Amino acid sequence: MNWNEDKSISLSQGCVCAFALLLAGLDGFGYWLLQLFAQMKGREPGWGLAFYIALLLGSVFGWLALGKLWGLLKSIKAGQVFTAENIRRMRVVSWCCGAAGLVCLGAGLLYLPCLVCAMAAGFMALIVRIVKNAFQQAMLMKDELDYTV
Amino acid sequence: MEILVNLDVMMAKRKISATELAQRIDITPANLSILKNNKAKAIRFSTLMALCHELQCQPGDILEFVDDEE
Repeated sequence: MNWNEDKSISLSQGCVCAFALLLAGLDGFGYWLLQLFAQMKGREPGWGLAFYIALLLGSVFGWLALGKLWGLLKSIKAGQVFTAENIRRMRVVSWCCGAAGLVCLGAGLLYLPCLVCAMAAGFMALIVRIVKNAFQQAMLMKDELDYTV
Repeated sequence: MEILVNLDVMMAKRKISATELAQRIDITPANLSILKNNKAKAIRFSTLMALCHELQCQPGDILEFVDDEE
């Protein structure tokens, strides 16, 4: 298979689209699914609605992060990798992961397994933040290299 | 505290244009302009050597250390 950088970025963009579809599905059918789940598990009335509100709150950060990831991939495809704009995008993605983690932490009061999601989101925020720090250093190095004659 | 590049002075002394010098030392006119206008952050020994060779001068004729504290 003839694999190259462009195809790799296209795959990443496809994954972002897939996650966007998944998120849209959760936003659209989440309430119905949660009501179904609440009925199956015999949860008290109002549980589904409370969990759906938490899900919508988390999805706001999800959409924001996906938008920034899409912009980041477009920029990388255009050959502009170590730029201040990309670093800003990564910072936003990192904060979005952290915020979604906090929402999951709150949702853990309604459904305990959400604590695992909270931990995963917090860990993801940390990873993105470290990659952002690396990008920041790379940008400084590139800047220096660009002005080395 | 900074290093000034006095390339334009040496170029005027040797009566050579930026385009010609860039061609002779094999760098782009844009890069030579960066160097000439003191925008460069670093200079390679190979570039400095080529400049000194073409302009028949010493590195000290091109680079000048300016201490603002004095």
